[in-house]
Amino acid sequence: MAGAPTAALPAREAARARQMSDTQFALVIILGVSLLNAAIIFVPLVYSAWLSLHESNVILRTMEFVGAKHYWTAITDPKVLAAAWRSVVFSAIAVVLSFALSLGFALVLNEDFPGKGLLRALVLLPWAISQVVTATVFSFMLNPNVGALNALLAPMGIVGPSHVWLSQDMALIWVSVAFVWHLAPLGTFFYLASLQTIPEDLYNAARIDRAGPVRRFAHITLPHLRHTTLIVLVVMTVEAVRQFDLVFSLTRGGPGTASQILPMLVFRYNFEFSQYGLAAATSFILTAMSVALAVGYFLLLRKKKAKKETANG
Amino acid sequence: MAEAHRKIAGEGWRPWAVGAGALFLAFWTLFPFYWTLKASFMAEIDVLDSLVGMPPSLTLDNYLRVLGLSVSDSIFGGQTRAVMEGFVNSAIVALPSAAFAALIASFAGYAFGRFEFPGKNALLFTLLVSRVLPPITMLIPYFVFFSAVGMVGSLFGLGITYLTAVVPLLSWMLMGYFASLPIEVERAARIDGCSRLQVLFYVTFPMAAPGIAAAFIIAFLVSWNDLLFGIVLTGGTNAQTLSPALLGLSPLMPGFRTELVLFAAASILSTVPPLLLALVFQRFITGLNISDPVTTGGD
Repeated sequence: MAGAPTAALPAREAARARQMSDTQFALVIILGVSLLNAAIIFVPLVYSAWLSLHESNVILRTMEFVGAKHYWTAITDPKVLAAAWRSVVFSAIAVVLSFALSLGFALVLNEDFPGKGLLRALVLLPWAISQVVTATVFSFMLNPNVGALNALLAPMGIVGPSHVWLSQDMALIWVSVAFVWHLAPLGTFFYLASLQTIPEDLYNAARIDRAGPVRRFAHITLPHLRHTTLIVLVVMTVEAVRQFDLVFSLTRGGPGTASQILPMLVFRYNFEFSQYGLAAATSFILTAMSVALAVGYFLLLRKKKAKKETANG
Repeated sequence: MAEAHRKIAGEGWRPWAVGAGALFLAFWTLFPFYWTLKASFMAEIDVLDSLVGMPPSLTLDNYLRVLGLSVSDSIFGGQTRAVMEGFVNSAIVALPSAAFAALIASFAGYAFGRFEFPGKNALLFTLLVSRVLPPITMLIPYFVFFSAVGMVGSLFGLGITYLTAVVPLLSWMLMGYFASLPIEVERAARIDGCSRLQVLFYVTFPMAAPGIAAAFIIAFLVSWNDLLFGIVLTGGTNAQTLSPALLGLSPLMPGFRTELVLFAAASILSTVPPLLLALVFQRFITGLNISDPVTTGGD
């Protein structure tokens, strides 16, 4: 038996001998988790990298090594460049609007008014529901024939009857707005959590010093939210860059390619044209965009943290 | 006293601003639902005539048809059945994968949040990279592999792909959460003779229950609401999940005439589980400072 060599020791000593040190225990857990992550995340990624270096023929079921050819094709492909640019525009609109709305909503929800509890619960709803539903809800509103916007605006003469909202020029913008509806609650959630950690005493002290609401906001609230703002902006950017479900449901990237952002294009390369190699290569370009953002942020935080520590020490 | 304050600080406009903001917030959140909710209780024939006002009559028929309880359904029977099957399939895949993800992430979050060990920074970095991987990047290798081994249409395979999406996110989230819990209780339990695993299961995890519950809810929502993985890996098969089934019924599908009102009813039904969870979630997060994945690194 495993316990035999220690049987001579008193029971308590034996128990302690079996116990691991903190570091050992942490390493055992981490090893298990990392093995799982390696199996489900990194092995597929390596496989995808292998795919991106090969030309696949679905019908003949052959794979031919082509080196970096797909990467070169992708970065010189006008379709990829156009889709990447659309991704930038889409993300910019989505992040700026969601940021402004979520901060405003959080400030409102941090106040006291009747029905606050209900509204706080409801505000998360657009984030919690399926983006297929979000897409359809927006398509109901934007529908030229049975949509809410035309039904409300056309009688007032603001738009003509059967105005097409998801047009060639405007589709990308409307898709972004629909995405803002989905995304803003997440920022509200972060801001609200942060606002609740500001000590009320600070405001009371400022009141005694006769600081008005604007000055209190500028000198207490805003500085306190700086860190959260960085977090919110990055989470929103990452979500916008990777966005697929809503755009796919609402416009399929159309009309034409008007709202075909990068993940949509990768999807088409892979599932419509079965160009696994090119799709994998393009997906790594998308990944690089996403990782660069996150790493930049990580370094920024590190630097800030280091500064704080030197200031304290 | 309060009035004096108001005069000094010039806060007379403040309640008005808050009220206007609250109204706008309610409108922004609820108006899109109003349209869908109204449509879900209407007969298809009334849709065009009742764009703004209320329809002449309200009916539960759309819901009954989606739930398969109406006999008047002949043409759309197949599609509405797909929605019901989608409900079941999504529940079958989302519940266990969320539970497993929450468990794994609890272990990871505990180890990362509580201990220092060699290689921690490098592992945190890979966790961060995993967190920001676009779903489509993960999907391509899984799709090619599953096609080759005949696992397309398998809920088990789909569940694994959901783990790739949520385990890094939740590990990171719970890491911050565990770090914020007091360590003294665990030390006391250790002194009383509990083994490490006993401490973990009888002391730490119960203490972290709100955070773990929030993690479970987030994982469930991610799986329940997912369209991309579901449509690629289960679309058109017996294992089709809810979002692809909904999209199949959607008036947005090109080249197929569907009923707007039927889709509206199915959409409303599909939001019931997330709605209930969001309400529960709202309770959990009060006073629970969860930080997002890409976030805790700094604190």
